[in-house]
Amino acid sequence: MDGKLSITDVIAKRMQWLTARQNVLTKNIANADTPNYVPRDLKDGSFTRALSRQSQPIRPTATNSSHIQGVSLRDPDGRAREQEELYETAPAGNAVVIEEQLVNMTQNQTDFQTMTQLYRKHVAMIRMALKGSA
Amino acid sequence: MDLFKTLHIAASGMRAQGTRLRVIAENVANAESLAQTPGGQPYRRKLVSFANAMDRELGAETVRVRKIMTDKSEFSRAYQPGHPAADDDGYVLRPNVNTLIEMTDMREAQRSYEANLKAIEASRSMLQKTLQILT
Repeated sequence: MDGKLSITDVIAKRMQWLTARQNVLTKNIANADTPNYVPRDLKDGSFTRALSRQSQPIRPTATNSSHIQGVSLRDPDGRAREQEELYETAPAGNAVVIEEQLVNMTQNQTDFQTMTQLYRKHVAMIRMALKGSA
Repeated sequence: MDLFKTLHIAASGMRAQGTRLRVIAENVANAESLAQTPGGQPYRRKLVSFANAMDRELGAETVRVRKIMTDKSEFSRAYQPGHPAADDDGYVLRPNVNTLIEMTDMREAQRSYEANLKAIEASRSMLQKTLQILT
């Protein structure tokens, strides 16, 4: 493709983003009883920015064969921000509302399904074009 | 695969809730465990605390049980002069376990466990949807 994003690229990127969000939401649910834990979420607006940016983190260049490529121990979902609007905070400082997280998760799942369906549709269209008949 | 990571995170949450349930069961089972000697201490209620921890092997943040603490609250006293653990006034210290609190705590642990299970289901269905692209 000549620099433009094909539909499959866009779908794949969106699926990557949804997977990352699923990860963050699961973390919130798993930490539903951890003291001082504030739930996190990915900003939807970051999707467009994520498209234009390489997702690879910056790493030092290995100029010698004995250099060891380190693995970043930073949270891979570091882009996840703490939620700004919180329903309630427990006395122990935990602000996770399981219902809210499950709703987000369902929405995430539906979006994911939309993407896979779109992909299938796209492939079916290509197939139709190749075969010449439905 | 990121979605597999999700499964691991949810599993760690379930493991933590499982430990919590175990401690609750200990508390309930020992709700009547009194001391053996006069003036001795009865069973002290236990509490679980969770913490968010980085799993370096997995490269993701998981949950683990930070520590199991004891409840520092006061013991209640019951008048039982015939009991071997009774003090000079005939009072016996009773464990600071309230079964009602334990039951609500248990429910909460159960709900959290179910929520983690739902998260696994959601991730699994997403994985399945991805695989269905191939067919």
